[in-house]
Amino acid sequence: METSNSSARENILARIRKANARPRSAPAPEVPLDAIFPPIPDPRRRFLDECAGNMTEIFLSVGAAGSAEALETILATVPPGEIYVQDDPELLALVAALGPWRKARLSSEGAPAESTQASLTLAHAFVAQTGSILTSSACGGRGASIVPPCHIVFGRGHQILPDISSALARVQNKITGASYAGLITGSSRTADIEKILVQGAHGPRRLAVILEG
Amino acid sequence: MSAASQEFLRKAIIKSADLDHRALIQKGMLSYDLAVAKGKLRFADWEAARNRCSAVKAEGIANLAKYLTEFEQRVIERGGHVHWAENAGQANEYVVNLARARNVKTVVKSKSMVTEEIHLASALEKIGITVWETDLGEFIVQLRNEPPYHIVTPAMHLSRRQIADLFRDKLGEDVKDADPVRLVAAARVALRRAFFSAEMGISGANFLVADSGMVAISTNEGNGRLTTSIPRIHVVVTGIEKVIPRLSDLAALWPVLATSGTGQPITTYSTLIRGPRAAGESDGPEEFHVVLVDNGRTELLANPETEEVLQCIRCGACLNICPIFRQVGGHTYGTTYPGPIGSIYTPRTAGLSEWGHLSYACSLCTACKGVCPVKIDLPKQLLITRRDFIATGNVKPAEHAGFAGFRWASADAGRFQMLGWVGRKALAVVRALGLSGTVLDPMRVWTKYRSPIALPKQSFREWWRKNGNK
Repeated sequence: METSNSSARENILARIRKANARPRSAPAPEVPLDAIFPPIPDPRRRFLDECAGNMTEIFLSVGAAGSAEALETILATVPPGEIYVQDDPELLALVAALGPWRKARLSSEGAPAESTQASLTLAHAFVAQTGSILTSSACGGRGASIVPPCHIVFGRGHQILPDISSALARVQNKITGASYAGLITGSSRTADIEKILVQGAHGPRRLAVILEG
Repeated sequence: MSAASQEFLRKAIIKSADLDHRALIQKGMLSYDLAVAKGKLRFADWEAARNRCSAVKAEGIANLAKYLTEFEQRVIERGGHVHWAENAGQANEYVVNLARARNVKTVVKSKSMVTEEIHLASALEKIGITVWETDLGEFIVQLRNEPPYHIVTPAMHLSRRQIADLFRDKLGEDVKDADPVRLVAAARVALRRAFFSAEMGISGANFLVADSGMVAISTNEGNGRLTTSIPRIHVVVTGIEKVIPRLSDLAALWPVLATSGTGQPITTYSTLIRGPRAAGESDGPEEFHVVLVDNGRTELLANPETEEVLQCIRCGACLNICPIFRQVGGHTYGTTYPGPIGSIYTPRTAGLSEWGHLSYACSLCTACKGVCPVKIDLPKQLLITRRDFIATGNVKPAEHAGFAGFRWASADAGRFQMLGWVGRKALAVVRALGLSGTVLDPMRVWTKYRSPIALPKQSFREWWRKNGNK
C-alpha cells in the first residue's frame, strides 16, 4: 500500500536492534545433514518407493511412443473436457497423439479454467528422499499443478535428484526467474475430519508421473 | 483471579468430564502419536535434526534485524510490498485499507494463526467483505462461529456426524452417512466458488527466507496454493519471528515441521513464493504484499530469558503431548494459541495479570520439552512465567498466608513437630465427628476427587526414633 508506515518499521527495527546487540554465546556448531538423514544409495529406487507410499501414480515408459501411450492410459479415466497443457514442444508432441475428442488449452493462452479436467506439465526435477516433484511457475504457471482434479507430470529418469537439499539448490541457482516454486508430494489431501485421510481436498485427487527412460 | 482465569477453571471442569470429547481427542491423539513415531523412523538421528533446526531458528532470532531487512529488500526488488505493523490495529488497518482501495468484495484465507491473533477476518467483515476460511478445519470452525480448537487441526474436537449436521444447516448439503470423503467433496465445491470469485487471497507464512526473499507456505489440502494462485492480490500476514537465514535451511526444517506436525515426511505442498506474477508467466496475482507483525514479539525478544520462545514453528507437538491439553481441550484456554506454547506466549504478549494463570495449566511433567522440534525449554518458560506473574502482585492472599505459615513452621524443628501433632489430632477429630468433606475438613480439596488418605499414627520422627537403628 502506498501509505507510509516508516515509523512502525523504524520502531520495530529499533527494538530488535537493541535486543540483537546483546552479547551472546557463540552459536552451536552446525549439524551436517548427513547426520540427520540416512543415505540414499539408489535415488531411482527410493523415488519409486516414496511415490508408492504417497500415492503418486507412476507410469514408466520407453521412448516417445511409450509416453504417449501412458498419457492415453491416464486420460482414459479422466472425464471428458478440456485439458491444460504447458506450452512446451515436447508436451505438444505428446498431446498431438491424442484423439480429437480432447481439447487442449495451452499455458501461453492464460490461466487454467476451473472446469479443466487435467493438466500436463513438465517438472524441474524429482526428489528421491520424499517422492516429490519440483515445479515452478515456469512449468505452465501456478494454477496448472493445483486447479485441475488430475495433474500429469512428464519427466525423465535423469531428472531424479537425491534429496530436498539438492532440490533447494536448484531453486536457488537455476529457477531464479519464477515467482513460485515448490515441492509437490502426492495428491491434495486432508485429515481434518477425525484424522481420517481423504484425497483430493482442494487440489488434484490424482498426481500421475510419466517417467521416460 | 482474572475473569479469564475463572473461565478457564469453569470450562476445564466441564470439558474434562465430557466423555464424547475425551473419546474424540484420545482417538485423534492416538493416530497422531502413531504417525509421528513412524515418521521419526525416517531420520537417522532425530535429536540431531532438532539441534540443527533449533540452531537455525536461534540464528534467525539473534540476527533478526539483519535478516528481516534482507528479506524485505529482496521482496521489494521483485515488485512486492512490505508493510510493518507494531500491533494488531496497524496490521488490520493496512489490509482493510488495501482491500477497500482495490474494491475487494471477497477474500479467501488459507490458514494463518497470526490472522487469528489479530482478528483480521472480523476487521474485513466489518467493512462488508465476505471472508472464506479455506483450510477445511478452519472452514468448519468458521461455520460454527468458533475459534480454532488446535493450531494444526482446528476442528479436532468435532465428530463427522457433527460436521455433517453443520453442513446440512449451513450449506444445505445432506451428506450421506456423514462420510468424510463426501464431506470433503461438499466443502470443495463450496470453496471452489469462493476461490474463483475472490479478488484477494490472504495467507500466513511458515518461514520467511532472507537470502532469497521467499515466503515458504506448507499446506496439505492445496488451499494455500489456490489462495496464492487465483485471486489478483496476495497478502501474506505473518510474524517477524518467522525469518530464517537461508533457503537451504528448509532441507531440515521442512521435514522436521511436517514430522512434528502430522508425522508426514514433508507437507504435500511445500511452497515458495517470491513475488507477484512475473513477466511471461501465465497466471498468478498481480500484487504481492507482506505484512510483518510485531504485536508483542519484540517484548519477548527484549528479555534474554524469553527470547527463545520466538523460535516456535507452530507445529502443535507440545499441544498434542500435553496431559493438560488432552484433558481440557483447546477452547478452554480462551486464547489463539493453546497448550504449553500458548500458556507461555499469551501471558507475555497479552498481559501477565490477565493470562498468567495459564502457566499453572501445567503439571511440570516436561513432556513438551522432549518433543519441541526447535528445543524451546517450555517447562522453564512456564516456571519463569509463574515467577513473574507472582512478582507482579498476582498472588492469592490465602496462598501467601499459607506459605508464610509454612516458612515459620518449618524454620524450627520443635515448632514443626508440634504443628504436625496438632494437625494429625485435629484431622482425627474432624473425621471422628463425621465432618469429612465439610468446610471444617482441611483435606476437602484433596478428597473432592480422590479417596481419603489414612491418618498416620505417628510422625516420621517418632517412627525413626523407634525403628531407625534397626
